[in-house]
Amino acid sequence: MKCGSRLAGLKPILKNPPMNATLARPAGTEPESIKLIYHFLCWASFWLIVGTVYGLLAAIKLYWPEAVEFSLFSFGRIRPIHTTIVFFGWASMALMALTLFVVARTSKIPLQAPKMAWIGLQLWNVCLLMGLITLSLGISTGPQEYREVIGPIAIFYAVGLLLIFYSCYQTVARRATPEIYISNWYILGAFCWMTILSVTAYLPFYQDGMGNIIIQGYYMHNGVGLWFTPLVLGITYYALPRMLGKPIYSYALGVLGFWTNMVFYTLIGAHHYIFSPVPWWLQTTAILFSVGMMVPVWSGSGNFFLTAHGSWHKVRRSYAIIFLLTGIWGYALVSTQGTIEAFRSANVYWHFTNFTVGHSHLAMYGFVSFAIWGAIYGLLPRITGNELTEGAIGLHFWLAFVGGSIYVISISIAGILQGASWVAGDSFIASVDAAAPMWLWRSIGGFMMVASHIVFIVNLWNMRPKRETNLLDEAVAV
Amino acid sequence: MSLQTNHKLLIATSSTIFLILTMTIAILPAFEAQKTGPLPGIESVEPDSPIAQGRLLYLKEGCATCHTQFVRDLPVDNPYGRGSLAGDYALESPPLLGTQRTGPDLSNVGIRQPSDVWNLIHLYNPRAVVPTSVMPGYPWYFEEKEQAAENDVVVVVPDRFKPQGTVIVATAEALSLVAYLQSLKQIEVVR
Repeated sequence: MKCGSRLAGLKPILKNPPMNATLARPAGTEPESIKLIYHFLCWASFWLIVGTVYGLLAAIKLYWPEAVEFSLFSFGRIRPIHTTIVFFGWASMALMALTLFVVARTSKIPLQAPKMAWIGLQLWNVCLLMGLITLSLGISTGPQEYREVIGPIAIFYAVGLLLIFYSCYQTVARRATPEIYISNWYILGAFCWMTILSVTAYLPFYQDGMGNIIIQGYYMHNGVGLWFTPLVLGITYYALPRMLGKPIYSYALGVLGFWTNMVFYTLIGAHHYIFSPVPWWLQTTAILFSVGMMVPVWSGSGNFFLTAHGSWHKVRRSYAIIFLLTGIWGYALVSTQGTIEAFRSANVYWHFTNFTVGHSHLAMYGFVSFAIWGAIYGLLPRITGNELTEGAIGLHFWLAFVGGSIYVISISIAGILQGASWVAGDSFIASVDAAAPMWLWRSIGGFMMVASHIVFIVNLWNMRPKRETNLLDEAVAV
Repeated sequence: MSLQTNHKLLIATSSTIFLILTMTIAILPAFEAQKTGPLPGIESVEPDSPIAQGRLLYLKEGCATCHTQFVRDLPVDNPYGRGSLAGDYALESPPLLGTQRTGPDLSNVGIRQPSDVWNLIHLYNPRAVVPTSVMPGYPWYFEEKEQAAENDVVVVVPDRFKPQGTVIVATAEALSLVAYLQSLKQIEVVR
């Protein structure tokens, strides 16, 4: 059983390699594709620096409120800038870069319609730049998390999303393998869901009064779990077996995770508004399926750990694999934490506190970003032909890991102290005073995270594509 | 024809199921929820009134990033008022429930902190009235003048919180923001 399911996982890749794809070089490593993917990654890392510098500034301001006291950099304005840029500029762009490679490799044909993806990237850049300007000026849809950018600018984003989707879709549609590899299930799914999510979030017809809040819970929640999560999982289903040089443990678990993630995750957005005037049945449904989420989470992460099992000697020698597996640990950890936070009893102590901030950073950093870095370090050198030293990746890993851990642990403690102070019935300012030392620690962690991103930029430059002449030989050798 | 080999079927299936779930869990409940009318006693505000202008500034500065207007019907939230009801938000677009309480809840701040003077000083520099506050100041809604003119609203900021030899004068924006904060009062509900 175990053996059969393992084989099933790789069947589309191993059997009957189509002729046209094997002649020149592996699909996805054509010079145009390499250039496109590398440009995507460069822009993603540019936005990573911008987004995390804003994040660091926001962190510093909670300890030192007079720092950079200009309206353009006021806390209430830079907080949505930080989230918008790291969500859409960094994480989404980096994931889409990897996606463009994975769809081509697993479909065994060159990336289709790369021009469309290229235009899509530029539209996103325009959207992010205009978003940065408008949000700095305080022009936004209000405090509606992750949809603060006003409608006219969001249209650039939506068209860009559809163009990149088109490129991925065409590649899978014209694949040279009979079956659709599990990675592409997750990738195509993510694009469909994100399109529906974004349209739902911006249509105004049902968003007066509490209607707005129901949509807000649905959108901000699924924006993570039906976009970032499936993209990361899809990429990992390709990258991890590739980096370990062995098939995925179980194809069936991947399919189970796909459907259960889609159904369970969609139903739990309202758990951000427990004890609110959102209908009670919606809240209860959300809590119930938050528990149900353990099925896709542990089937996904368990599948990856079982794949890595038996190859620990390889893991030990590769920081790329360590990055990726740390991301998977982050996935298991943050999702389990999320389930616990959804309970009404936990809500009393943790809701509204900084504990939520720790949770979202564990998700977007410990899970999503670490997995992205693992996949980039594992796959990009194979495409560009420029290898890094383990020390260079290791320096990035340890700065990001120690910085991220300090961040998440200190801000979670801050949240617990705030909650304890409120429950004890102290005056409000006591909760601020209690959290303040932790806000300093959080800034120190944030500083290390930003430092690690600068190491990443240097590493990315050192992995730049080699000149065209020797690309062909190297690529074939991969 | 199977999901394993048919990309169109795969996309159609996952989109359709997701759309149905979206309708069930989000869009239809949202349509239903927005039918709730305002609580008796809540009146709509004229768009050009100071309160409405102040609310726009509240949105512009992202105050809801740190301040909720959402009281849970729990003992821990008692200091902020009664539990929030759908009718509290019926006329608000967007409603400002919020998810973070780095600063206190403001559902009832108009009753808790009604003073013009306190609010203006607090907006100019929160640390002038709450020494360990981490709230940002909003000095760009105030003018630093050598001398106040006749109709100026002078804000009595303690000397060490303002440039030497200046008087701090509230702009119309600062006044409207205060008007909005003072308007935040929960309507009493008999249960």
